[in-house]
Amino acid sequence: MAAPTPAPTALDPLPGYAGLPGRFDECRAPDGSLRAPWAEFLRQLGPDPAATLKRAAEACYRSVLEQDVSMNVYAGARSEPKPWPLDVVPHLLSASDWAVLSDGLRQRARLFNTLLGDLYGPQKFLKGRVLPPQLVMANRQFLRSCSGLGTMPGVFLHHYAVDIARSPDGHWWVLQDRMDSPSGLGYSLQNRFIVRTALSQELHGMQVERITPFFHDFGLSLTELSSTPGRREDPRVVFLTPGPANETYFEHAYLARYLGYPLVEGADLTTRDRQVYLRTVGGLKRVSAIVRRVDSGFCDPLELNSDSVLGVPGLVHAAQGGRVVIANQLGGAALESASLLAFLKPLCRSILGEELRLPSVATWWCGQKAARDYVLDNLDALVIKPSFRERRGSTTRYAALLSPRERDALAESIRARPGDYCGQERVLLGTTPAWSGGDLRPVPFVMRLFVSWHEGEYRVMPGGLTRFDPTGADAIVSLQKGSATKDTWVISEGRPRDTPWVMPAESQAGFHRPESTPSRLADNLFWLGRYMERTAQLLWILEQLDPLVGGEVATLDPEVTRDSLRLMLTAQQDWADEEAPLADIAAQIRANACDPDHPGGLASNLGNLIRVLDQVKVNLPPEFWGIVRRLRAVAAGGNPLGAPDLAQQLASLAALSSETLAHDTGWRFLKLGLRIERARHIVFLADELLLPDRPEGVPDAPPSEFRLQTLLQFTGCLFTYRSLFHGVFQPASILSWLFGAPENPRGLRFQADRISEHVAALPEELAPRAVSALRGTAFRLVSNAKLTDPSLLASDPSEAQSFFTEAEAILSELNHRLTHTYFSHSEVPGGPR
Amino acid sequence: MPRYSVTHRTRYTHSTPVGSAWQSLHLQPRNEASQHCESFELHVAPHPTDLASRLDYFGNKHHLFTLHEAHKELTITSRSIVRRDEPALTMPGLTPPFAEAPGLAERAVIEEDFSLGQYLHPTPYVPLLSEALALAGELGGDLDRGVSSLDWLALFGDRFHRAFTFDREATQVSTPLSEVIAERRGVCQDFAHLLISCLRQLGLPAGYVSGYLLTQPPEGRERLIGADASHAWVSAFIPGAGWVDYDPTNACFAGSSHIVIARGRDFSDVSPVKGLFSGGGARILETGVTVEFAD
Repeated sequence: MAAPTPAPTALDPLPGYAGLPGRFDECRAPDGSLRAPWAEFLRQLGPDPAATLKRAAEACYRSVLEQDVSMNVYAGARSEPKPWPLDVVPHLLSASDWAVLSDGLRQRARLFNTLLGDLYGPQKFLKGRVLPPQLVMANRQFLRSCSGLGTMPGVFLHHYAVDIARSPDGHWWVLQDRMDSPSGLGYSLQNRFIVRTALSQELHGMQVERITPFFHDFGLSLTELSSTPGRREDPRVVFLTPGPANETYFEHAYLARYLGYPLVEGADLTTRDRQVYLRTVGGLKRVSAIVRRVDSGFCDPLELNSDSVLGVPGLVHAAQGGRVVIANQLGGAALESASLLAFLKPLCRSILGEELRLPSVATWWCGQKAARDYVLDNLDALVIKPSFRERRGSTTRYAALLSPRERDALAESIRARPGDYCGQERVLLGTTPAWSGGDLRPVPFVMRLFVSWHEGEYRVMPGGLTRFDPTGADAIVSLQKGSATKDTWVISEGRPRDTPWVMPAESQAGFHRPESTPSRLADNLFWLGRYMERTAQLLWILEQLDPLVGGEVATLDPEVTRDSLRLMLTAQQDWADEEAPLADIAAQIRANACDPDHPGGLASNLGNLIRVLDQVKVNLPPEFWGIVRRLRAVAAGGNPLGAPDLAQQLASLAALSSETLAHDTGWRFLKLGLRIERARHIVFLADELLLPDRPEGVPDAPPSEFRLQTLLQFTGCLFTYRSLFHGVFQPASILSWLFGAPENPRGLRFQADRISEHVAALPEELAPRAVSALRGTAFRLVSNAKLTDPSLLASDPSEAQSFFTEAEAILSELNHRLTHTYFSHSEVPGGPR
Repeated sequence: MPRYSVTHRTRYTHSTPVGSAWQSLHLQPRNEASQHCESFELHVAPHPTDLASRLDYFGNKHHLFTLHEAHKELTITSRSIVRRDEPALTMPGLTPPFAEAPGLAERAVIEEDFSLGQYLHPTPYVPLLSEALALAGELGGDLDRGVSSLDWLALFGDRFHRAFTFDREATQVSTPLSEVIAERRGVCQDFAHLLISCLRQLGLPAGYVSGYLLTQPPEGRERLIGADASHAWVSAFIPGAGWVDYDPTNACFAGSSHIVIARGRDFSDVSPVKGLFSGGGARILETGVTVEFAD
């Protein structure tokens, strides 16, 4: 227990702070003294703790704001971004508290690992009635197709999380255990990194245990578990996430990046011959281990929940063959049963031969008569929970809060299917100080702590995710969404272990192997390039609308204006009557541009761009995230055409993609998308403006100077052309600049050269013949641009037409070949029939 | 002791080529007290490279394979030679009165075999609907609870059978039980699931049996319903008799014409052919079953 501290004096640094009646407070003891970690923390904060904390809270909030984009975009496109709720004031744990907790957690992990091994193996604890069989037999989370996985070599429960609270007498109580795919590790890491910058002196002064070595061991253990003895093959570990729609996707991305594992979704993986493979642009790459954040039941539509679109068909069969390490092994949710807590004491005694060191919250399983009678007699004093973890949401009920009718109905359901319910004591949560409105005040809290297996034993992360209800309300057993979080500091006895930490070399190498770009990521990057360019080009030509309609061109050369407006409609996949007044067409163009539901319109393209950015954002550096946020604001504004900074954001995006991203295989796909889109656009503009559709019999006239100037303006070449050709608008030199000049970055030849370079650098192992055909197509584009005769194009419309048609065909072919060769083997299974 | 030759053919035809297929099969007849599977062959075209089998949680043989070459047609053919006896049925008089059966079953779960317990709970295809309990009351409420449990099952099963119409068009695999109850129509699988729901709610452990019937009956005997495809019936745990197979579609105890493929809690545990495909457009599934005397 904490060392005695002096009674409060006039110098009490927290004169206004008092705990709540009946609860244990982490800061102030009942006699009014400060507990040792808090006395030390306040001393570290200096003479004016409130001022220091105020500064730290501001710094913390700033860091959170800088990163909050990454945390909120995944809440869905419609949700308002809100900062990650992090209280800068850490939750402090003394070394003696930590000794009790870590010892108890290691024991629980061993117990659950043994139980799971038996449950999905010989089931001797069921046969011996050590574990009440009904808790398994009636439990939908017990996955019968995973039977046998319990006897696989290695470890079943690789990592594990516990929610824990402090009872009024100062003891720790486990509220729930999470052994399927526990969340929170990534958030804990993020919290530490943020608070470390806001309270760096205090963190070091207090000798707080570092949490990073835990992650190092986490990675090492997976490498070890998945190394096949005698086989010289680098283990490939992937991090399996349900995807951006999942509320904890941010932490999946964060953790995967930190550990150096590719973040993959079910569709990125495939199975054959009972092996798991990652689909990459370089072909299938064998996966040796999976860190799993998809719930077990959703991991394999063939053998588990057949409606799941998050899984990998054949994963259970591969696991049964022992060919892939899954952390955690499939099926752990079977023990995430509230009713099981009623039996842990005897289970621990008979399975481990030890007394359970960390008690669970008092639980009565209604499947036993005495317990059922107790629950029904004390309904109002208890929390009623379903025995088994439900697929959606929690149906935890507080009988005291129910109407008499609801209460009777609840009692009736318990009598009808008693085994499906348990009663739990309502725990009066202990409190810890939180920073609120310029002051510290006590809030009830729950800690989530983490355990992971390494070198034959369990290790506990010396830290954790502390959660509390920011309104100070007592979220009695499970904290609902909307809770706030804290970093958790474990004060070390003596100096913290100072093992230098390095990222495991293997996993780093695995992530950067160029051929390993997952096919789906490459596909998304390709479309990112296309939508970036398409949106920017569309915005550019639409910005010419007002000058065209209002300027002198409209009167001097009305044909050019009409053709330009028609072009703006066509570019947005729309059309207008030949006879329509210009003002009406202009209004139609603007309406298309602002309507997100008009396919091909500016707003629709912007929406697609944001959607693709969301898909790949975790693979892009933070500089991109701010742009995504601003693009989202433009889209939400409803008038992208009038948004003052859209062009600038798009330009920043293009610059970042050239200058910030690694020029690896994934990047090449982005650039290929961009180059193909730009090339198509150049050809489209030239075709529309130089060879406009004319009614039968109207002869083709040579293009007017205004027409040529408009073409240059639309393609973005007007300035460069003028400065190079001194304002002489000759058709042949304009066409040469647009199509044949290798030094014009807005011309066709330049795009063709870049496309050819990128295609030459793509991996070919996947399908050598298809790749060589792709390279051939790119070469044809280059030769066409190189060999074209601008004066012939200028003088002979049919020659120009066939050049444009051919260029369009080659670009379509490129698109098709790329898709077919690199993306389309990312097969997505259909539903069962 | 009849000896049967069973051929079970499943053919998927896709309108456009399928890139990959993953298949999970429960096709190999079980070996058990009154049945012996002498031989089993599985032919898949196109030929998969990774056909493998496991014994599932219920002791059934479970085959799995994947295909990763483009194809428009997939044929799975199994051929089995099965010897099948008339199962030994306990004398009804030796089973306790029906009134005592649920209590005795509960004791058996607690004292003898915990795994019986899983046949009392709801499963994916067998929700414990209050309509099913009401149906059980409507059909069997007036039956003498003093009759032996086995007799009760026969009496109840007979009434159950007469209350429903076999109608191939009425339902699909996905049709919920409540609709079967409301329409009083369905196929063997619906009747099995519904009877299971009734029995479980009355306190009798009940499971699902996937199997076959003889296609052409011996001279002078009527052809049983469900003989031209795979069949399904119920296995009920009767204290004093153990597991007893009852076929609600034909209102009879399973006999030597019933061939057991696999046993589970409901269809989801033992689906004969279950598959996933990538791509492939519209899909036609055809199934053909032939069961003949082998000699």
